[in-house]
Amino acid sequence: MSNRRPKIICVTGGKGGTGKTLCAVNIAIMFKNEGYKVLLIDGDVENPNTYLLLNGRLENKQEVPFFKPKIVEEKCSKCGICAQNCMPNALLHIKGAFPIPMLTLCSGWRLCYKICPENAIEANSKTIGWTYSTEIKGLSLILGELKPSEARSAAVVEALLKNLENVVEYDSEKFDIIILDTAPGAHCDVELLIDTADVAIPITEPTKFGKLDLIRIMELITLLGKDCRVIVNRSSLLGFRDQFLKELKEENIIILGDIPLDSDIVNSYCQGTPIMDNNSGFNKEGEGYQAFISIFGNLKQWLNINNKIKVKKLNG
Amino acid sequence: MDRKIVGIVSGKGGVGKTSITASLASLAKKDEQIDVITVDCDVDAPNLGIILPAEKESSIDTHDTFTALKAEFIEEKCINCRKCIEEQYCEFNSLTWDNQNSIPIVDFLKCEGCGACRVLCPEHAFKINTVKSGEIIAYNSEMGFPLIYGKTRLGSTTSGKLVSDVKEYLKSLKEFSQSNLILIDGPPGIGCPVIATISNLDYVITICEPTPSGLHDLIRVIEVIQQFNIPFGVVINKSDLQSPFQDDFKLYINETGYEILGKIPFDLTIPKAMSFAKPVVDFAADSEASIAIKKIYENLKYILWNNTFR
Repeated sequence: MSNRRPKIICVTGGKGGTGKTLCAVNIAIMFKNEGYKVLLIDGDVENPNTYLLLNGRLENKQEVPFFKPKIVEEKCSKCGICAQNCMPNALLHIKGAFPIPMLTLCSGWRLCYKICPENAIEANSKTIGWTYSTEIKGLSLILGELKPSEARSAAVVEALLKNLENVVEYDSEKFDIIILDTAPGAHCDVELLIDTADVAIPITEPTKFGKLDLIRIMELITLLGKDCRVIVNRSSLLGFRDQFLKELKEENIIILGDIPLDSDIVNSYCQGTPIMDNNSGFNKEGEGYQAFISIFGNLKQWLNINNKIKVKKLNG
Repeated sequence: MDRKIVGIVSGKGGVGKTSITASLASLAKKDEQIDVITVDCDVDAPNLGIILPAEKESSIDTHDTFTALKAEFIEEKCINCRKCIEEQYCEFNSLTWDNQNSIPIVDFLKCEGCGACRVLCPEHAFKINTVKSGEIIAYNSEMGFPLIYGKTRLGSTTSGKLVSDVKEYLKSLKEFSQSNLILIDGPPGIGCPVIATISNLDYVITICEPTPSGLHDLIRVIEVIQQFNIPFGVVINKSDLQSPFQDDFKLYINETGYEILGKIPFDLTIPKAMSFAKPVVDFAADSEASIAIKKIYENLKYILWNNTFR
């Protein structure tokens, strides 16, 4: 089984609060239950919540640096080429004076640093967030956090993806399954994560908002050339389940399954004990629990990974 | 009464921003003292228009925005030197080499239009174009007040800029001059579009729910709001949620002493109203949720124009 690349699954959703993190965590846990080595990456860097659902602590904090230009006055000829070419106008140049960086406008594109004919711009950095890595409940977790009041979520996601690249490139045996949890929306940070994955699972809910945002995120997933299947969360809300599932079918949207409203799920969410954890103590006959079991079966079938692990276990 | 611009945000998504915005707008419309305009700045997933549809199709104004920048490769000028790849002009890995034709290819989705390739290529074989980044849509709603919203073009990477454009467009509306309350439905999170939404506002309403992630995300969004020095109040949605976390949540709220605009109990009439695409205060005026939102509206009005809380 050498050179086996781990499967990368992106859990996303367009709309906020549909249950992305809930599904990402529990899918990760179900893979772990079956002996897979699982890496969970929390890419919702504006509001990373996976560790709360796992009741874990964040460890191994590392800064995410972001480019900040520094003008070396001894070298600068005051030519202004840097300012002329800076698209976000983050360098102010008045004739005969040194250019002044305006950091709130700087996009960190490093163009000034690359083109200065005198090499008078140094690449300094500021911290815009952090990444953490830890082991919780048998899962490996890597999580990114954007520093509040910083705007560049995508740069923190990129730092996470560098971690992932290293794993896939140099240590591909370390994990069988990698789950990516994204932020709501269809912004560049979400786009980066979907693009990195093999497949995407958008989570939706049976409301008009849920459907509209689902269609939008599926457009992005299609644009990125990825296959996707949907989970409908809170499906029993107001009795719209059947109607909603029918509507999805009419749009040729394939679902992995639906999760009804379930008090065990709410409790597990608030306690930080994933409902699907073997030791969680929740009712294994409960509707929520059974829904996840069924979704997991469909997921494995879709990804066609059922047999691989058996071979692996026999060998191991 | 002088004009107040109010944003409705939340760290966590799906906690009720849009439902509450629509209800506050409906209450404001019925209030003789108020001339309201609604804005949806959740440009990645704009939903306010579902509850507040246009009065008539013909009144919908759509403007394309062209704030996204993308590189274009000019094949005639290229001498196939490969420098753009070898010297890594692109910070975003959006340049790859097409071996067959010996030319670079620009990945439209990855390109941020920074212009490095344009400046660095010795043959000037790249140029930067402005491309469509999204749309601004404005109309008069069925309820009789204007709604403006932005919608990003997928993959254009400019949500924050589009939010600023939407807010700028607001000022060009003919209704703007006599309006005295602008309600902005914001995006979730704390990133670029949220910062663009809350900058220069008079007041921010932040909505949360009593769960561990609800609290975690509330703390983060408040940190951002405070950095911008904007007065804010908290609305607790699903306030009576059966949750083992309620005590921790209450303790935090009590200790911080933040202004609590109101609490909305868990009430199925809210999603029900949504499914009929109506603000809950109109769909079920006497429901617990509606009574709570009316109280929030009165508190908001008092804070905005009397400067002190109750």
